[in-house]
Amino acid sequence: MAYTGGPMTEAMYYVLLALMRPNHGYQLMQAIMEVSNGRVNMGPGTLYGVLSRMEKDGLISLAENDGRRKIYEITVEGEKALRTEYDRLQALIKDSAILDLGDGDE
Amino acid sequence: MNKTIYKLRPSDFWRIGEHESWFADLAAEGLFLRKMGIHFAKFEKGEPKNMRYRIEVSISKKISADQIEMYSETGWAYVTSYGSFHVFSSPAELEAPELHTDPAEQSYTLKELDRKLAFNSGAVIIGMILMIGMLGSIWFLDGTPTLVLVDGIAVQQTILAIFLAYTAYNSLQATLSIRDLRKRLAEGIPIDHHASWKKKHTLHTTVAFVFTVLVGLSAIIPFFQLMKMDTKTLPEKNVDLPIVRLADVENNPDLVRAESAYLDDGVDWGNRYSYDWSPLAPVQYEADETGLVPGKLWDDKSGEYSPGISTQYYQLRIPSMADNLISDLIERYRYEHTQAEYEEKNHPDLDHLVVRVEDSMNEVYASKGNAVMYVRYFVYADVDLVIENVAKKITIIPD
Repeated sequence: MAYTGGPMTEAMYYVLLALMRPNHGYQLMQAIMEVSNGRVNMGPGTLYGVLSRMEKDGLISLAENDGRRKIYEITVEGEKALRTEYDRLQALIKDSAILDLGDGDE
Repeated sequence: MNKTIYKLRPSDFWRIGEHESWFADLAAEGLFLRKMGIHFAKFEKGEPKNMRYRIEVSISKKISADQIEMYSETGWAYVTSYGSFHVFSSPAELEAPELHTDPAEQSYTLKELDRKLAFNSGAVIIGMILMIGMLGSIWFLDGTPTLVLVDGIAVQQTILAIFLAYTAYNSLQATLSIRDLRKRLAEGIPIDHHASWKKKHTLHTTVAFVFTVLVGLSAIIPFFQLMKMDTKTLPEKNVDLPIVRLADVENNPDLVRAESAYLDDGVDWGNRYSYDWSPLAPVQYEADETGLVPGKLWDDKSGEYSPGISTQYYQLRIPSMADNLISDLIERYRYEHTQAEYEEKNHPDLDHLVVRVEDSMNEVYASKGNAVMYVRYFVYADVDLVIENVAKKITIIPD
């Protein structure tokens, strides 16, 4: 399914986030682990699936391919999508402020 | 030297979880998957080991090198592929990370396969409908299904149609199963890597066996028919065959054989007998004979008297088909005649006797036990004499 700007899956979001610095498959898994503070431990199958899908959708592209390793980077379009999603998540958090005010009287 | 063992796969190719657990169960017995074929999987014997197996789906027959590379870096070794299914394994003690941590994302990997399978089953179902339509017209268009069955002309097509129906059913099953799997993954339900494969095993083995036999038969039967089939010129002297001869019913010493109208491959088709075989009628004879009485004219003076006689003989494997075969033969050769022109008769030596008498062309249909005989003649002969000959000849059982 081509990405049309709706809410992203968690896997997509973290891969884009981690690809703010170009990286290749195995290290990308580590990077996602780090960037999520160990919360997201993405399996290689899931990562591979997300990478090939987002490459097709133009959200990421190949920065380098030395034959053995493919190094991916985020595209302009991908960064735009990531920032849109970030804003959406921000809005979600902002709207959830109600939860911090106790019983939600306001 | 490592010992190789082949095993029939226990279930259909699209049952991912069942295959994964089957591979793991066999590894625990010391059998390690090496290759997967259509029906059989090849294993290598070794020390029993706890292994995990995962099947990855990708539409291309070859899995990409960087996918294999990425998986191997996390402890998953590529084993083999069958179609769009690619098998990876990892020793249990390595505790390699699960390949798919997000079922919803995994459901995307099945999308193209889903589309391909749906296309395939659509094509096979259309093929099956065409095949059944064609078969239906062979079988029922002129309303003689028993004759078609006994003649054996549609045996191979029928087996092929059964096989095609099975293929269509199978590909529909595959499509629906993969679609269902996708749906469950999208809902966050992961594949059960320990799904029980045993319950499907017997069923799958039986079906695979039956269809191998059927397909084998459909290949052999036409060759067998071709081998058995033969046509020869009918000798002028008497032969020990279940056919009624001109000389038997035409008591005229002046009768001579008519000049052959059609010669092919050294066979005089105006005076010939053919032998044929089919699974339901292993002995079949067909004979034509034409004669001439020089100097004698037909009663209406339309030309020189040239009698002709044809016999069809069937020895059936299932005797109870005889009555249906007689009705079908009547139907096949009825032309413009009405059913009323056919007269049922009784004969002490025949089980079933139907006669149609007219000036020029007369017919006798008879059965006894598993033998059915149809005689069509164009002779000035007494019908009772023909019936007597039929009753006598029908008991000749050729080998």
